[in-house]
Amino acid sequence: MKTRHLQHLYFRAGFGLDYKAIQQLKKQSKKEIVAKLFEASKKVEPLSLDLSEFESYFNSDYKKPSTVEEKAEQRKLQKLGREKTIEFNAAWINRLTTSEAVLAEKMTLFWANVFVCRDNSVYHMQQYNNMLRRFALGNFGDFVKVMARQASMSKYLNNRQNVKASPNENFARELMELFTLGVGNYTEADIKASARAFTGWSFKRDGSFFLRKRHHDFGEKTFFGQTGNFDGDAIIDIILQQKQCARFICDKIYRYFVNPEPDTIHIEALTNQFYKNYNIKDLMLYLFNSDWFYDEKNIGSKIKSPMELLVGIQKTVPITFQKKKQLLYIQRVMGQVLLYPPNVAGWKGDRNWIDSNTLMLRLKLPAILLNNAVINIDEKGELEDDFEAYYASKNNKQRFIKTTKHWEVFEKEYHDVSQKDIRQTLIIAKIDPDTEALLSRLKFEDQRNYCIQLMSIPEYQLC
Amino acid sequence: MKRRDFIKQSTLASSLFFVPNFISAFQKVNKATLGHKKLVVIQLAGGNDGLNTIIPYTNDIYYQNRPEISLSKPDLIKVTDNLGFHKNLGPLKNLFDKGYLSVINNVGYPNPNRSHFRSTDIWQTASASDEFLTSGWLGRYVEEYIKKPYGGIEIDDSLSLILKGKNLNGIATKDPAILNRNMQTPYFKKVLDTQSDAHLSEHNLGYLYQTMIEAQSSSKYIYETSKTFKSKQEYPNDPFSKQLKTTAEFINSHLSTSVYYVAMGGFDTHAGQANKQGKLLDVYANAMDAFVKDLEANDTFKDTLILTFSEFGRRLKQNAAQGTDHGAANNVFLIGKNLKTPGFYNEVPDLMNLDSNGDLKYTVDFRSIYATILDKWLAVNDETILNKSFSKMHLV
Repeated sequence: MKTRHLQHLYFRAGFGLDYKAIQQLKKQSKKEIVAKLFEASKKVEPLSLDLSEFESYFNSDYKKPSTVEEKAEQRKLQKLGREKTIEFNAAWINRLTTSEAVLAEKMTLFWANVFVCRDNSVYHMQQYNNMLRRFALGNFGDFVKVMARQASMSKYLNNRQNVKASPNENFARELMELFTLGVGNYTEADIKASARAFTGWSFKRDGSFFLRKRHHDFGEKTFFGQTGNFDGDAIIDIILQQKQCARFICDKIYRYFVNPEPDTIHIEALTNQFYKNYNIKDLMLYLFNSDWFYDEKNIGSKIKSPMELLVGIQKTVPITFQKKKQLLYIQRVMGQVLLYPPNVAGWKGDRNWIDSNTLMLRLKLPAILLNNAVINIDEKGELEDDFEAYYASKNNKQRFIKTTKHWEVFEKEYHDVSQKDIRQTLIIAKIDPDTEALLSRLKFEDQRNYCIQLMSIPEYQLC
Repeated sequence: MKRRDFIKQSTLASSLFFVPNFISAFQKVNKATLGHKKLVVIQLAGGNDGLNTIIPYTNDIYYQNRPEISLSKPDLIKVTDNLGFHKNLGPLKNLFDKGYLSVINNVGYPNPNRSHFRSTDIWQTASASDEFLTSGWLGRYVEEYIKKPYGGIEIDDSLSLILKGKNLNGIATKDPAILNRNMQTPYFKKVLDTQSDAHLSEHNLGYLYQTMIEAQSSSKYIYETSKTFKSKQEYPNDPFSKQLKTTAEFINSHLSTSVYYVAMGGFDTHAGQANKQGKLLDVYANAMDAFVKDLEANDTFKDTLILTFSEFGRRLKQNAAQGTDHGAANNVFLIGKNLKTPGFYNEVPDLMNLDSNGDLKYTVDFRSIYATILDKWLAVNDETILNKSFSKMHLV
């Protein structure tokens, strides 16, 4: 396989490939390499923190706190929950950086921005996150049905409040608008009917699903021209019958994995494949084995998400953040905090990551993380903060991001690699001729310094 | 220094301006620097309790629903027979008396959302409640009509959705010197100094270079222009006042920026509201007082319109923690010298006719206010910015 194509595959299916792996893999054929990629993602480990402190809360004999002590205990637990959420965020990023199952993890990240959800309960959020991981390359229909039963989703889109006496349409609407069909591909009557089908869908404290029969509407509904005593699963099955559902997902797949500029012919090809069986793995196999995926116009065409940027840097030079809060801060000022999507529509991606402020920060990020460059940006206050907290410059005094840099990993990989080869490994986009001329004029004695400078040019922002 | 002179001088002074297209783009900015209309948008972030800001002090329903946090006559400044200002809004009352303030009651939108994040997005993007837009209304204005990042400035370190366009965004800074220093690092300068504009049209790479060039030139322009003016007005010592002081320095140095956005935090008063909100309104009113005086002293008040909104109002009925929960419709303030309808623009909130959550119903769509400002104040086509036609109001 051509080196450039191999790199392209791994930039999209993962977070890039280091030099030695490229040398090893490039002797093999495309088919072999793609097969290997999927083989490595066959076994996916759930991402689990120790949440045993919360078990008592999820036991069936749990009682609402009434005494002063119990209330204090509950507050302690809430505080712990917030800390654990930060820990989970860091653990997820670490997983993205170190996992061998690169494709499964990249897909998990992708689905987290399709079935967008946010929940303050780390216990339920961990379940949700592992649900995404479990189905990332599975069957889409099963995926949607399990997603619709998650405690976190039920809370996020108010399906818990969706009862026969007074249906709440929030979940039903977003299911079609943002998760499966896209705006304009259903009627208001379809929303009303499907909201009724999801009435009474609820969850127990431990996050497991249960149907509150009293609140479920067992009556007849008409949905997409079909009439029956549909429940939520039946509604999802009818949605899957619409080819638009396959098209909607394939459009997202295309923009995320191939090119932010859609190509209707290639999206239709993906759609035809996906509509056969809604098998996500088959779809991705088809995509990565297609010739057009490797078209020159697709290579280096995508602006990295903050996560792709952050993980990409760490793949080359591993970093340990000494303070997890600083890792969170970096995500915040770049505009992508894992587990905290801005709204149910998710992050917009590509050019939406970029404005004057974020671009200069992103260009400076390698120097901030690897070269102790100062960072002069205060993060925004939260909308729930009081006046003092809102303006407390949370990292104001911490102009340095304290990291431990594992340069030895980089040295081991690159000490005998030419600067030209380092450049071709780290940067996939065609380098602007003027910048290229500049790079060749500047002399870099030191591989580390060269690496940081390469990561600081605009081309590194692309993958 | 006239703007044109500034451009000439900085062209000589800065290698950034080697990009030929760039210079011409700079000069194409059609607004005259002096006297162009400016809009300052202030968000009271967290959801200000409008009912304890402008108090319906003759309404029994108000007192019945708020046994612990309602404001009685000693705690307010009577303005009309049925409405009074919170007692800490004295400076705002002065603006009101001078005819510099319009209060628009019952502003909101259909199917109100009670999440801070979502409702903030709705207000900032000017979307409908069930519509997800990726750009803000001020951002679209800057992109469409100013075409340079410095056309819209947020006084903060990172940019909010309100100032994001589709392919061009505003810029955020609360300290132009730091912004400029961040943008003018030696390495980026080297990269940009060698840039000719030959390849800037390429897709995303061209976009990145373009954004980088504009970021550098905008930050330099903001820094070098704004440093020519230092405010002589005394401001209270708090972070919000500081943001407004910076805004005044931008305006009074005749920066060719058209729209500014400032968020003041702290309004999410679920518990112990009385003290908290009292303090916040005090900070707000005194900051506005200093800001308006500063603009007046420099003869820029006549060209500046100040819009204050909050992502939602709060529930009529107080909660058990002497606070209020997220509500719906709310009042909006418009401050300026030549208002068409100074005073109370419309009817008082109808506390008898609440929605199913017990919240105020809207009678004025916030996008009608935006449309009016775009059309009458900034003199642009409001429909291209708002993607829809909204009825205009008699505001400016």
